[in-house]
Amino acid sequence: MTGEFVAFFILSLLTIGGAVFMISFTRVVHMVISLGITFISIAGLFVLVGAEFVGVAQVLVYSGAISILMLFGIMLTKHDAYDEGTGRKWKNRFILLFVALVFALLFWGIQNTAWPASPPPAASGVSNAKEIGLVVFTEYVIPFELVSVLLLVALIGAIIMAKKEGDNE
Amino acid sequence: MSTLLQQAPSLGNTIWFILAAVVLLAVLLGFVTYAIYFERKVIGWMQLRIGPNRVGPLGLLQTVADVTKLLLKEDTRPLHADKALFTLAPILAYAPAFAVLAVMPFTESIQFADLGIGLLYYIALSGITVLGVITAGWASNNKYSLIGGLRSAAQMISYEVPLVMSVVGIVLMTGSMNLREIVEAQRDVWNIVPQFIGFVVFIVAAQAELNRTPFDLPEAESELVAGYHVEYSGFRFAMFMLAEYVYMFGMGTLITILFLGGWLPIHPALSFIPGIIWFVLKFSLYVFFQFWLRATMPRMRVDQLMSFAWKVLLPVALFNILLTAVVISYQNGMF
Repeated sequence: MTGEFVAFFILSLLTIGGAVFMISFTRVVHMVISLGITFISIAGLFVLVGAEFVGVAQVLVYSGAISILMLFGIMLTKHDAYDEGTGRKWKNRFILLFVALVFALLFWGIQNTAWPASPPPAASGVSNAKEIGLVVFTEYVIPFELVSVLLLVALIGAIIMAKKEGDNE
Repeated sequence: MSTLLQQAPSLGNTIWFILAAVVLLAVLLGFVTYAIYFERKVIGWMQLRIGPNRVGPLGLLQTVADVTKLLLKEDTRPLHADKALFTLAPILAYAPAFAVLAVMPFTESIQFADLGIGLLYYIALSGITVLGVITAGWASNNKYSLIGGLRSAAQMISYEVPLVMSVVGIVLMTGSMNLREIVEAQRDVWNIVPQFIGFVVFIVAAQAELNRTPFDLPEAESELVAGYHVEYSGFRFAMFMLAEYVYMFGMGTLITILFLGGWLPIHPALSFIPGIIWFVLKFSLYVFFQFWLRATMPRMRVDQLMSFAWKVLLPVALFNILLTAVVISYQNGMF
């Protein structure tokens, strides 16, 4: 039993557990916290396969995102609001069947794919930020720039929408 | 230290890991105890008071007595507070504060993990504390703590942006985000000289990230009682206090490494003094600066806080990045 295996076991347990609790909790703030645990555990899994930069970027992006989500959860719900859910039995059974089918399909697909042999994980001393930077700015410049334009459009769109509401008041 | 990380886990090296972490924790607790003592003494002197002088010789045991009082206090919890989150919040706030210290190179040899992206690791992990603060504010079921938590979230998220932007100049100059390489690159001249604009932005944004004067709005005692931890007492309150001072330790370490040349001596002729002494000296200078500011500055107005981050600090930091990039391109003969 290697240390990597132990870490992988704990992190995947936390990832799946966080996701399951995210669905089963009834309060928004509890859901957000368990979602946060899932995101941070995924970052841990990234670090485990030697992609430290991706892992840290995941924490950097999602810890802020979770905080904002939580603020909206606090602002838009009552302190003791419960989500009551739709209690229709036949609907739940149908959903269960559907989810089981999707799982079976995915599992079958993953089992039957011939994966390329994985390259050895990079040593922790090697800076993979530099490698990612080189690849992004040489091979994938156009997709990278397109993504940044998309983000800019989303930002300006949000400002325009907020401005319209502000003018109406 | 780093060779230990590569080995297969056994009982022996697991005990070593735990021991190393406990030693760091003990150093931290010692630092926090005497940082609080010196904070009270220094502010006392600046305000022409004596400061703590009753418990032990020169009042040296004052903080120990205070902490003992906190630990022996009854553990209270408001009736309608959210039980699970009320317990979780101090842990969420403290754990990242301690975890960021894992990448800090205190000297050439004393370091826990040598990550290629050490700088980014610090910034990413310190963001998780905001989550603990909001959780504490919400779970207490108290309007003052909720307002404190929301202020804190807005402030810490906004000031994180100029904080990250101000160190980009250093990353450009060094060509690496590894903290050890950043220190080694300062052999000739410390980063505080070529990156002075970045240094000023960093120190202001760091002050806001630490929730200290003049940016202590989340816990403004005159308007919010105590901010997000109003309802906390005893051991849990001690955890929040500890997280705050451990962040001060972390930020002091980071500033020493990024701008003040880490363990390097002022002049190569003085290199017979060991690196750790230089490190502690520079670090203490920053900690003293903190106390000095607290005794000097009034609190900022809440409506000026956000516009200062976005309209003043961020443009200055972006200008610094542009300037550094142009100078580096010029040096490399691009134009």
